[in-house]
This record gives sequence, C-alpha cells and structure tokens, in this order.
Amino acid sequence: MIDRLLLLLDIAIKHLSRRKRQTVVAVSGVMVGVGFFLAVSALMIGSQNDFIKTLIDAAPQIIISDELRSPAPQPGVRAFPGSMIAMHGYKVRTEVRGLKNWPAILRAVNAVPGAIGSPSLTGGVTLRVGGREEALGIVGIDPSVETKVSTIADKLRVGHLRDLERVQGGIIIGEDLAQRLGLGMGDVVGATSASGTTRSLRIVGLFKKGQVMMSSSMGYVLLREAQSMLGRPFIINRIGVKLPDPYQADQISKQLEGRFGYKAESWEDRSSDFLALLVTRNVIMYSVVSAILLVASFGIYTVVSTSVSDKRRDIAIMRSMGFSEFDLQLIFIIEGVLLALIGVMCGWLLGFGLMNILGSLNFAVGGENQHVPLDRTPRQYAIAAAASLFAGGIAAWLPARKASRVDPVEILRGAA
Amino acid sequence: MSPVLEAQGLGRTLPGDPPVTLVRDVSFAVAPGTFTAITGPSGCGKSSLLYLLGMIDRPTEGALLLQGENVAELDGDARAQLRLEHFGFVFQFHFLLPEFTAIENVMLPMRRLAKLKPAEIEPRAMELLATMGLAGKETKTPDRLSGGERQRVAIARALANDPMLILGDEPTGNLDSVSSANVVDVFRMLAHEQQRAVVCVTHDLGIAAQADVRISMLDGRVVKVEEA
Repeated sequence: MIDRLLLLLDIAIKHLSRRKRQTVVAVSGVMVGVGFFLAVSALMIGSQNDFIKTLIDAAPQIIISDELRSPAPQPGVRAFPGSMIAMHGYKVRTEVRGLKNWPAILRAVNAVPGAIGSPSLTGGVTLRVGGREEALGIVGIDPSVETKVSTIADKLRVGHLRDLERVQGGIIIGEDLAQRLGLGMGDVVGATSASGTTRSLRIVGLFKKGQVMMSSSMGYVLLREAQSMLGRPFIINRIGVKLPDPYQADQISKQLEGRFGYKAESWEDRSSDFLALLVTRNVIMYSVVSAILLVASFGIYTVVSTSVSDKRRDIAIMRSMGFSEFDLQLIFIIEGVLLALIGVMCGWLLGFGLMNILGSLNFAVGGENQHVPLDRTPRQYAIAAAASLFAGGIAAWLPARKASRVDPVEILRGAA
Repeated sequence: MSPVLEAQGLGRTLPGDPPVTLVRDVSFAVAPGTFTAITGPSGCGKSSLLYLLGMIDRPTEGALLLQGENVAELDGDARAQLRLEHFGFVFQFHFLLPEFTAIENVMLPMRRLAKLKPAEIEPRAMELLATMGLAGKETKTPDRLSGGERQRVAIARALANDPMLILGDEPTGNLDSVSSANVVDVFRMLAHEQQRAVVCVTHDLGIAAQADVRISMLDGRVVKVEEA
C-alpha cells in the first residue's frame, strides 16, 4: 500500500514538475493565503487577548457591591402581598447601606480554591486646595490584599501602595488630578466628606496619565481611613474578587449572588458589549481568511483540471496497464494536496516573516513605546495547514473525478 | 494445450439511436505459445475485439474465459488487477509516459503490482531493456529515443509483469520496415520461446503471414480462421 502511494506520488510529482509555472502560481496562491492568515490572525488574536486582559485587569474580576439586583420591597408593600391596590407616596424606610455580614461573604469567596477577595469602601469626598475644589471618589483598601486582586499597583507612576500604611492619612491620586490642583508627592490636601468630616491627606503616590478614570477622579486611601472619613466605621460596600481562571468569573459570580443576594458582577457581565464586538471581529477575520483560501484553491483547481485534460492519453495507457480508476483519481488528488502542502510550508515561512516584521514595530501609545500585540501559537499554523490541505484536497478532487471517468477505449481508439 | 483466453459469442454494441454493433458473435480460443494475427479492413472491428479480449472494454454479449473463468462480468477494479497481472499491451503509438525515462516506464507496472521486492524491480527492468537491445538507453526519456526504440521500450513494459498474454494493436503501424520486422521477430520469439499467447491486430498481410493463426474479420464478424 505504501509502495503504491509512493508510486502514485512519484507520478504526481512528475506531472507537476512538467508544469512549473502553473505550479508556482498555485503554490504562491496558497502561500499568500496561509501567510496572511497567520499574520492577520496573530494580530487579531493578540490584540483580542490584550484587550480581554485589559478588561479583566481593569477591575477585579468579580465585584460584589451593596446593591441588590432588584430593590427590596418597602414594608408597606410587603404587608399586603398581591393586593389589588397600588400604594404610592409612602415614606421610604432608610436602610443602612453597606454589605451586611461581609466577613461571611469574604470567607465564602476565599473558600473558592485560588480565589482572593479584597474588601473596600467607596465614597465621595471633595478635595480643597487653595480655593480649588475637585470631587473625588475614594476607595478605602487594604493594600496588602488589594495588590493581589487588582493591578492598580502597576498603574502607579511614583510611590508604593504599601506607603498608605506607613504614612498617616496617606492618599494616592492620579497625575492628571494632581496637575490640575498643582499638587506633587508629599503635598498635603484637605478632603471633606459628605458627612462633613474634614481631614488633611498627604499624597504618597501618583497614578499614570492616560487612564482617565484612575488618573483624574479616583483616590486610594487605607480602608479604616475611608471608614472614619466617611463616618461608616466597620462598614464595607464592595468586595473585589480575583480568580485563578478569569473565565470562571461568570459562574462564581452567579453562585455568590444567589447565596448572598448582593449584586456580584463579573468582568464578562460588565463588558458583554465589548465581548460581543470581539465575536463580530472574529467572524470578519475568518470570513476574509476563508475567502483568501478559497481563491487559493481556485489555483489548485485550475492546475489539476488542466493536468487531467492534458493527461487523458496517459490516463488511458495507465488504465490499460492495470491501474485502477481509484489509482488515477488518487494521482490527481495527490497533485492538489502536494500543491497545498508546498504552499502551506512556504506560507508558514511567509507568515513567520510577517509576524517578525509586525513584532518589531513600535507604536507610541500614551507616551510609552508599545509593541503590536501578537499571538504566536502553533495552533494558528495548524489551522492554516488543515484548512489549506482540506480546500486543496476538495479543489483537486473535483477535477480528479474526471480522470477516473476517462474511457480508455475512446482515447486508445482515437489515437490509433 | 488448454486455451489461455477464450471468446464465446463475444459481442459489443454501443448504445445509441440506432445502436452500433462493433463486434458480433465472435468465438475463438488462444493457446499459449501461439502467435495469432487478426486482420481485416479498417473499421471491421478488429481493434474493438482486441479491447474486449484485453478487458479494456466490456462485452455486451457473450463470455470471455481467462484460464477457464468467465471474466466478462467482473467489476472495474478486478479487471484492472487482471490486466496488471496477465496482460501486456503494445499499441500503434508507443504510449510511453513522457515524464518518465525508459527504465522508469518499464518499472511502472512492476511497481504497481508490487509482487517483486523494490530492490528486484530495477534489475529486471534493466534486463528486459537489454533483451530488447536497449542497453545503455535506460535513462533516456521517450523524446530522446527513435520510433523503433520507443516501441521496444513499450514491449519491454508490456513484458514487465511476465504476462501470459501479449496483445498488440497495429504495433508496427508506425514503424519503418526494419523496425517493423524486428518487432515481429520479438513477437514470434515471445510466443515460441517463452510460451506466451500473442494476439496482434494488423492490416499488414506480410506480418499476418508470419502468424501461427490468422483470423480474418469483416463487419464485426470473424469470417475465416486459418492455421499455419
């Protein structure tokens, strides 16, 4: 069987070597298709991964907040369930905001293998410097836990998160805000909370520019500092969760929400619109690539098809010699697959080269040199090869059927 | 001696309106060691008969016995396998594969049959070419060989799998008289010395005269069988 395949392969190679120019054209078609598929998909997948990573890292993967998905019914409504009379205008009961029983929630989060939960309290304050006022959202955190949960530490231009613990009344704000207020490292700023408490805070760190949220409207302080400043001792209203596998976030957030009733939002939940966009991007990429491969297989079809019509005499003589119909069909399928195979290998080289060129490019984004994000996995090479060989096989099989239908009698008689 | 190949009421009709009958009711037997010539005017159906005998074409009537077994009803693959093992064809045109050298052409049927070990195939091809007087021309492609040489390569290829039957379709039709006589001598040798059955379609009466059995055809029928 192997000998037979080698024989058919030998014949196929001899056929192709006789039509070099067509072979080169067909092979280049596949090569360009495969090469650009590799480069484009590496770019698309790379940027997608980069994008998802940014989404995942932008905030903790799950945020449990003190909101309820649907507000609890007011006591008056609860007293008459299913009543036919709608009540309105009643006095709304004031609830103490914050995550009740948060240590239990934190324990439940930490019970998930590999997961870490970081409690925090958020609130609003007003910064005052020399007659200027800026509203600031402050987040009270435990620096040692928060660094494990979010990437805010990477976003610092100067200072360290743990300086919050070292400096009494330390705060970290964004460079943009600091610039607006004319503040620098070590400067003291007055902060007034909604409850009227005023504190003096010392700047111990600055976030990088370019991240609007972080850089101009957020400030990080120590958790107990925030609790006392906002007048809400022992209360937290947010738990950020980091998971070992970000793709578990949806499932675990649903479990937590089901168990404690508080809104637990996963990053997928928060960015479902972006994720939907990525699906569209992938559809576009794969349809463009399929079109390229389809065009490449036209080249293979042409070569095999003309090869079959040119070789009708040889087909007849091989049939008379005792080659079966299947043998003949196989010869021409092998020709097509061979073209695809050579094309794939050249395309791998082309794709590799293109990726290296793309990888060497630098772009200045936000004052920093950034490389084009590329995803260079062997999987893309395998997909390109499989798709091309499949397309090439089909493109060769269609005309190859003609080879097995050649009637040797007709040819031999016609030639005689 | 019992016949290798026997036609019993063999007929071939092409479908159509009206149907065309190429061969009708042909019965004869071919014994090993004989050189049989089929003659007749062009269009009398002698080539069609040869294709039926060689299992390239399928009869619409009658039976074809190969070593006593009816092979007329076999499917394409089985017929291809029998052709490979038992038949060698030589046509008016050499029909060598142009991309292959002389020796590669001779090796093709052996490689396809794969009865010999790969290492034995090439020496046998060399030997066959040498027998045909083509020693030293093994690596030439067909376009580098003369008409007579090509035809001898084609004969060597027909002999590759040591077939019981050699079928020739005007094998000398395209050759000069010297080459032609040469080919006929080879055919006689194959029949008389190697005990093969040789069947040759020809309109050359000089060649027919050298055959052991002469079959004359007219309008698809056998009209006369003469034994020398």
